[in-house]
Amino acid sequence: MKAHLLARPAAWLPPALAALAVAALAGLPFLALAPNRLVPGSPVGCGLLGAAAGALALLASGLLAGPARPWRSWAAVAAALAAWIALVVGAGQGAAGLLAGQPPAARAALGAGAWLAGLALAVLLAEAVRAVLPRRGGLVAALLLVGVTILAGRAGLLDALSLAVEYRAREQALATAFLQHLGLAGGALGLALAVSGPLALLHLRDGPAARFADGLLNGIQVVPALALFAGLVAGLSGLLALVPALRSLGLAAIGPTPAVIGTAAYLGLPLVRGLAAGLAAADPDVLAAARAMGLTPRQMLLRVRLPLGAPVLIGALRVAAVQSIGLATLGGLVGAGGLGAVVFEGMAQFAQDLILLGALPVIALALAVDAGLALLAGPGTDDAIRIQGETA
Amino acid sequence: MTRARRALAPLLLGIALAALSLPEVAGFVIRASGLPAGTPVPAGRLAWLARQHLALALAGFALAGGAGLTLGILATRAAGASLRASLDTLAAAAQAAPPVVIIALALPVIGFGAPPVLLALAAYGLMPVMRGTVGALATVPDDVRRAATAMGLTPAQMLLRVELPLAAGPILEALRVVLVLAVATAAVGALAGAQTLGTPIVVGLQTQNTLALVQGAAAAAALAFLADAGWLAAVAGLDRALRR
Repeated sequence: MKAHLLARPAAWLPPALAALAVAALAGLPFLALAPNRLVPGSPVGCGLLGAAAGALALLASGLLAGPARPWRSWAAVAAALAAWIALVVGAGQGAAGLLAGQPPAARAALGAGAWLAGLALAVLLAEAVRAVLPRRGGLVAALLLVGVTILAGRAGLLDALSLAVEYRAREQALATAFLQHLGLAGGALGLALAVSGPLALLHLRDGPAARFADGLLNGIQVVPALALFAGLVAGLSGLLALVPALRSLGLAAIGPTPAVIGTAAYLGLPLVRGLAAGLAAADPDVLAAARAMGLTPRQMLLRVRLPLGAPVLIGALRVAAVQSIGLATLGGLVGAGGLGAVVFEGMAQFAQDLILLGALPVIALALAVDAGLALLAGPGTDDAIRIQGETA
Repeated sequence: MTRARRALAPLLLGIALAALSLPEVAGFVIRASGLPAGTPVPAGRLAWLARQHLALALAGFALAGGAGLTLGILATRAAGASLRASLDTLAAAAQAAPPVVIIALALPVIGFGAPPVLLALAAYGLMPVMRGTVGALATVPDDVRRAATAMGLTPAQMLLRVELPLAAGPILEALRVVLVLAVATAAVGALAGAQTLGTPIVVGLQTQNTLALVQGAAAAAALAFLADAGWLAAVAGLDRALRR
């Protein structure tokens, strides 16, 4: 029943998406030409390729709206993908055309129309692919979109776009920031797991210690992240002033230390809740049988509770990993670097392209980690997480 | 009674943190731990920032909570279960862009100050409320609905007298999460130039003024705990009034 619902997308969605794309292409600025990277540009409409993208989107939605036949779905995928290619190439070539004869500092940035149309086309392609491959449709669509865009970039078709110019100017710094971000998010996840594991085991025997830890983790969720990071900077500098020997361990008041601790603090609650639910997921009868077979508590944990609770455990890890990537952004404020530092530098300069170069990888990384862990957990886990969320 | 007691811990924590944010107390603590203090934020300025912060957070809460609740109720009227799966997917996808990233992205488009903060709250807070509302309303048993229809209740009466009271627990909890989120997002909004309790934190980090940093952090956390306590007390009061 559910698979059927997922396989047949809501009938109104594709036409609405195509209409949104056409409206965005026709009514909103497609590109903006600015004298330099900091000032807002003057709007420019979409060219022939943009119009073609709109027409292809309408074609794709028309193919999806008809009776479900395999050839129609495949044709819809082809039309939606062609629309995306037309949009991407149209933006790149339009920017190149705008910049011809302009001084070198001039920039041609993507306008609101291009972004909105791109978003609509991406969801439209996902809907079309889902009509062909119900299960992994979204993932395949994302890979198609990213692959085609990277190919266009490699071929030099997008070089004139402001975003690409900004990227070329900072390629090295961005690669470093990306790796730093992965390090911060991964380190925080590791630290949170190291603390949450024992706490989740404590949860199995519901005592006062477990309830105290629960209250503490609940309380941390209320503290604004900015305040916690700032408090950690102040607290760590106080601690280091009192015990200077800690500096030799690599602790510092500014830098990765407060960022990793602060991020990990917020991951505690979802992790402990998810891990505890995962460990408790095994059927009481199964546990009784295992006990009757003479398994030690350690064997019960490793051979029964962990394998049976694996989908819920991976689900909790998934929620925490996505949060970790988002929260690590604030590390840029406390000197930990990462993509957050790029975003905040862009905000300080009011440079839209720099903000995007920091923000888009954060979003992409979060979505990729979410999809990757969902793949690992296998089908049906979304339901498990939902049920867990409702009972929590 | 137990519900009202839940408000006690955040209330006490909030009062303690508010006391810590006062210039004299924070200055004493910082000097006692051997750190250079820097220029304090006067108590009057802190109170003004707190009012600005609360106003912005409540506006965002009303926006995200109100819209999420309304859309959630509408969604269960019209389409029901088929919409719920897409909602869950959307809600998960929306979490990929944290509020600070949404504020940063909105900054060049809609400018400095409150608007990017409100947009971030609407974008990040709306989906959890909508999803929570739809999920909570779905837990109302069909038997109850059928009984209400048999008793001659109109759809509006059924919603107000049967469905919402039965689903109130999870819905109020989802709203509480968004309230806390609103206070946190308003703090981050200082990065976009909004005047909130995040402002002393950001300025303190930039100028290495530990005193302003501690004052801002304590005050922002105090506001969050007090808002949480206020919400829990209000829900407990409402609960008692309805039972009488």
